[in-house]
Amino acid sequence: MNNTHLAPPLIDIVKVSKVYPPNIMALNDISLTIGRGEMVFLTGASGAGKTTLLKLLCFLEYPTKGLIEQDQKDISQLSSIDLQLMRQQIGVAYQDFKLLSKHTVYQNIALAMEVRYENPTKIKKRVMELLNDLGLSDKIHIATNKLSRGEQQRVCLARACANRPALILADEPTGNLDTESTDKVMTLLNKLHKSGTTLLIATHDSTIYRDTDHRIINIENGKLQEILKVKLDF
Amino acid sequence: MQYISFVMGQLARNAKHGWTAQIMTLFTVMLSVLIFSFFFLVYTNMQKAASRLCNELRLVVYLESEVPTNFRTEFQKKITNFEEVEDIVFVSREDAFARLKKQLGNDSDVLAGLDPSFLPYSVEIYPTRNLKSLARIKEFSDYLGGLPGAIKVQYGQEWIERFGYFVSLLRIIVVLTGALLILTSVFMVSHTIRLTLESRQEELEILRFLGATDSYIRGPVIIEGFLLGLLGALSGVTALSFLYQWIKIRFSGPGFMNLFELSFLPGSTIFIILSMSLLLCTSGSMISIRKYLKL
Ligand SMILES: Nc1ncnc2c1ncn2[C@@H]1O[C@H](COP(=O)(O)OP(=O)(O)OP(=O)(O)O)[C@@H](O)[C@H]1O
Ligand SMILES: [Mg+2]
Repeated sequence: MNNTHLAPPLIDIVKVSKVYPPNIMALNDISLTIGRGEMVFLTGASGAGKTTLLKLLCFLEYPTKGLIEQDQKDISQLSSIDLQLMRQQIGVAYQDFKLLSKHTVYQNIALAMEVRYENPTKIKKRVMELLNDLGLSDKIHIATNKLSRGEQQRVCLARACANRPALILADEPTGNLDTESTDKVMTLLNKLHKSGTTLLIATHDSTIYRDTDHRIINIENGKLQEILKVKLDF
Repeated sequence: MQYISFVMGQLARNAKHGWTAQIMTLFTVMLSVLIFSFFFLVYTNMQKAASRLCNELRLVVYLESEVPTNFRTEFQKKITNFEEVEDIVFVSREDAFARLKKQLGNDSDVLAGLDPSFLPYSVEIYPTRNLKSLARIKEFSDYLGGLPGAIKVQYGQEWIERFGYFVSLLRIIVVLTGALLILTSVFMVSHTIRLTLESRQEELEILRFLGATDSYIRGPVIIEGFLLGLLGALSGVTALSFLYQWIKIRFSGPGFMNLFELSFLPGSTIFIILSMSLLLCTSGSMISIRKYLKL
């Protein structure tokens, strides 16, 4: 853990606040540093501001106050083309999935790779692999609006992982899943973590972070608070 | 290569969703190209016929008396004051007599013993060989009739005059249909593409979230406009060539149409029409995508 702090962090959030109009304070003066290759869990009650924090990190929202640096670049200074290219490096599993409802599972996942002009054979191979990992192989050519919510959620996660991005932001990746599927999702995420991906996972699901060695950060009313892992059980 | 296959995939997808609008647009572009190039074809053929007519066209001004040599420059100046001309020839009685004799050929002996003095003095004016002078021939002839010493002005038949008016009317039609071509292509193409884009709004938004660049989003749209322009213009020109063949067969043989040795539009003109259509349709698609790139 320590050596990750020596290298420059991947994400550096400094005194950031986010106020939605008219005056909803979703994040209040938070600071957080996430090192390269770290896996961090983000917990907190509904409406605490988890999704808002993730949205700031994938440029869907901009901070009202404060500084966010990703890859040592101040994101408020990036040109639109830089932002576009940077988004290609971030895989996001949205809480509301943001899938193309009339397109198939395959098309949805492939799209993330197509925007990077990846080779079709490579795309095909990667999509098959992900569907296999997540137990969706038999749904490959089904339109996503025909899928159950749990299946849609996994498609969304598969899309986020498709490019093996440097950073994955997962918003409630196991929200609608049973134990078996949850295990599959966590196995995939752990595999990516081992290969060096940085992960930030927002979740209500204590089963996925209960036994973890990774950092757990709690948000409460827009304020951050790190849960120090004291393994009281021992 | 990959990008091309991607673009083709996109186009196929778009075509599946919005093919009626695309067919309509294709049809509109085709029709405007057809209408424009049809009138242009008629115009160029008329123009050719007119220039053939112009070769034989001359105005003859009969005079009371011969223009003295030292006044000729002044006389010429008076003529060119109205409009530039190709040539001005002063015809003396002797010249006219010689010409008449030549025209009569074997029968020229009827002129034997006659004095050239029964023939009038005249000036022959050869207007410049363009349609403008053809269209203004009546005015020109009136003007010449007002010159000092002029008795009478003669030029071809009255239909030459009508023909001139007709050709200038055609020119206006060509300009108008050209404007129509420009307006309809740009409007229809940008409209269709806006429709496709609107139906793809959700997709465009998600593409944005996935980090698609402007050029990635713009590419297929512009190519769609390009293809609409290309196919529309090609089918328009093809339709024109069929129409042309039909007219040619229908009206060949003796008669009025023989004056016009019909010819199709030259390759260079077709090329210009095609590139115009391409340019217009592509810019039409660029106009409609601009809004969506500001997402
Ligand atoms: N676009 C918006 N406009 C106004 N208020 C918003 C907007 N988005 C979020 N909020 C508010 O900001 C606060 C934080 O919302 P956020 O979605 O970040 O919560 P969350 O922690 O993700 O909750 P959940 O666990 O239910 O997903 C909430 O009070 C929410 O109502
Ligand atoms: Mg949320």
